[in-house]
Amino acid sequence: METTVAKKIVIKTENIAKTYHESKIPVQALKDVDLEIEEGEFTAIVGPSGSGKTTLLNIIGGLDKPSKGKIIIGDTDISNLKESQLIDFRLHHIGFVFQQYNLIPVLTAKENVEFIMLLQKKSEKEMEERAMKLLKEVGLEDKAKVRPSELSGGQQQRVAVIRALASRPKFILADEPTANLDSASAGNLLDMMARMNREENMTFIFSTHDQRVIDKARRVVTLEDGMIKYDEVR
Amino acid sequence: MLIKIAWRNVWRNKGRSLVVIGSIVVGIWALLFMLGFMNGFTVSYINGAIEHEISHIQIHHPKFKQDYDIAYSIPNGLSLKEALSSDPKVAAISPRSFANGMISSTRKANGVRIYGIIPELEKHVTHHDSLLTAGTYFESKQRNPVIIGNELAEELKVDINSKIVLTFQDEDNNLVAGAFRIAGLIETSSPSINKFTAYVKMEDFNRIAGIGQNIHEIALFLSSPNDEAPLMDKLKKEHPDLLIESWRTIAPELELFLSMTDSFLWVLFGIIMIALIFGIINTMLMAVLERYRELGMLMAIGMNKWRVYMMIVIETVFLSLVGGPLGIIIGLATMNWLGIHGIDLSAYSEGLKAYGYDSILYPSIENNIYIFVTIGVIITALIGALYPAYKAIQLNPTKALHTV
Repeated sequence: METTVAKKIVIKTENIAKTYHESKIPVQALKDVDLEIEEGEFTAIVGPSGSGKTTLLNIIGGLDKPSKGKIIIGDTDISNLKESQLIDFRLHHIGFVFQQYNLIPVLTAKENVEFIMLLQKKSEKEMEERAMKLLKEVGLEDKAKVRPSELSGGQQQRVAVIRALASRPKFILADEPTANLDSASAGNLLDMMARMNREENMTFIFSTHDQRVIDKARRVVTLEDGMIKYDEVR
Repeated sequence: MLIKIAWRNVWRNKGRSLVVIGSIVVGIWALLFMLGFMNGFTVSYINGAIEHEISHIQIHHPKFKQDYDIAYSIPNGLSLKEALSSDPKVAAISPRSFANGMISSTRKANGVRIYGIIPELEKHVTHHDSLLTAGTYFESKQRNPVIIGNELAEELKVDINSKIVLTFQDEDNNLVAGAFRIAGLIETSSPSINKFTAYVKMEDFNRIAGIGQNIHEIALFLSSPNDEAPLMDKLKKEHPDLLIESWRTIAPELELFLSMTDSFLWVLFGIIMIALIFGIINTMLMAVLERYRELGMLMAIGMNKWRVYMMIVIETVFLSLVGGPLGIIIGLATMNWLGIHGIDLSAYSEGLKAYGYDSILYPSIENNIYIFVTIGVIITALIGALYPAYKAIQLNPTKALHTV
């Protein structure tokens, strides 16, 4: 008899809505979004500009708060956390990859990779070993002492990805990670993230327009006008 | 790592950091220079008064200064002088007899304070032998020598060897007079000595006044200004029947001048530090706004507000720690050089002399001022860092990440 092992749901949004009041006319970026993400997923959130992809990603990552609804990450309802608790939560549970790489320009590649572990007060030895291992894995071992300004866009994004992975967070949230990369760099980066997803069982969620990311994703959630229009598991 | 990032951030925009460091250096140098200049003025004025006129401590009969009556001499004055001269705190001592009187030349007459002194002792207290512009300091064998100020000589239209007559009241209120010959002319920083004082030998004065060995004043010049308070206490305790005063009481205007200069220096210190605060706020605000997205990213990936705040504060303190010592070293070097060579203000010497200043000014700063300025700069930098650091932690990471 064939049995299916149900995977653990690690991210759950319940009835999430987000309205921005920054102009005279309120803008509703998300409307009643219900979404469940299982452990180890490699999911792409897609949709046209203004559909609410980044807003949803920011809310899942605890960077923004929903106007309504609940967001549960692991066992924690983060919609009720204070700002300082959210910062701490992000530090220990979520890794971010940004479109603009956002490395710290005054630190070397290795120091950038170590940075989050440093904030987590990991030991010097552990940071050193982990950073060098990851740099080696992405082929940047020889660039360890180089500052971001001396790296190409693809190399910078690889450093940004391993910075997010280095502290072994449960989730990696990537906002348009390949938007500024050429095809070869984007392909390499996606292969690397897919491998990390398999090997480290981290849950990856992308917000993207990029077909190359969508092709790699095992689940594609399509947003339109702040609502989930399609949810396709491959 | 926080310290490492802050230090590297300082050198991220070298041009801007160097401008701020430069302004800190110039600010501190200017502050030290002004403090040294003002302090030099004060010290020159007060030291001039102490070294050439008042001395540190004076002793009188308690009633003498009410009317400067020649009858009120110090009981056993010369014995007291002998006893005091053995005190190690006393570097020099001069007994004086005194009367207010009249000085007359063939051309003119003027009111004058007449001091009967023992030149050998007096010169170690008022150092007038070093201020001679003509003649000698009671060295000639001539009878009844007198030393007066240059300006008084001009007023009386007399010169060395000119004859003058000193007239004053004796103990019985009779007018007595003596003919004196000008042995020397002096020029001090004290207008009252230059214009209204005559020094004669005590033996001549006391003989004309008919007061024997009586003296009216004992002036004490101390080995160290720090000895003043303890010696005052001791003397007051031992001689409750005498009027014992320090220069602060004798010339309250000096004390007032000292406290006014102190207040002025505080105001100056405050103004320069406030200017520094605004310079630092301006630069650090620019640094924060320029790195808005980066700071947003740091908060997004989990750097808490306290660390972001401290990073900005440390960065600011580094700026001042580079500029501060540099400014202090340059200020120290300037003070040392000027302390030796002085600032020649002889172009304004006439005006300065009228107010009791020397024409060469030697700026000086006490060592604790350097420490004080260093601490002041660090505190200023910390205050200057507060607002930019506050602005940094007020940012919204989501919005900051989307700024270009």
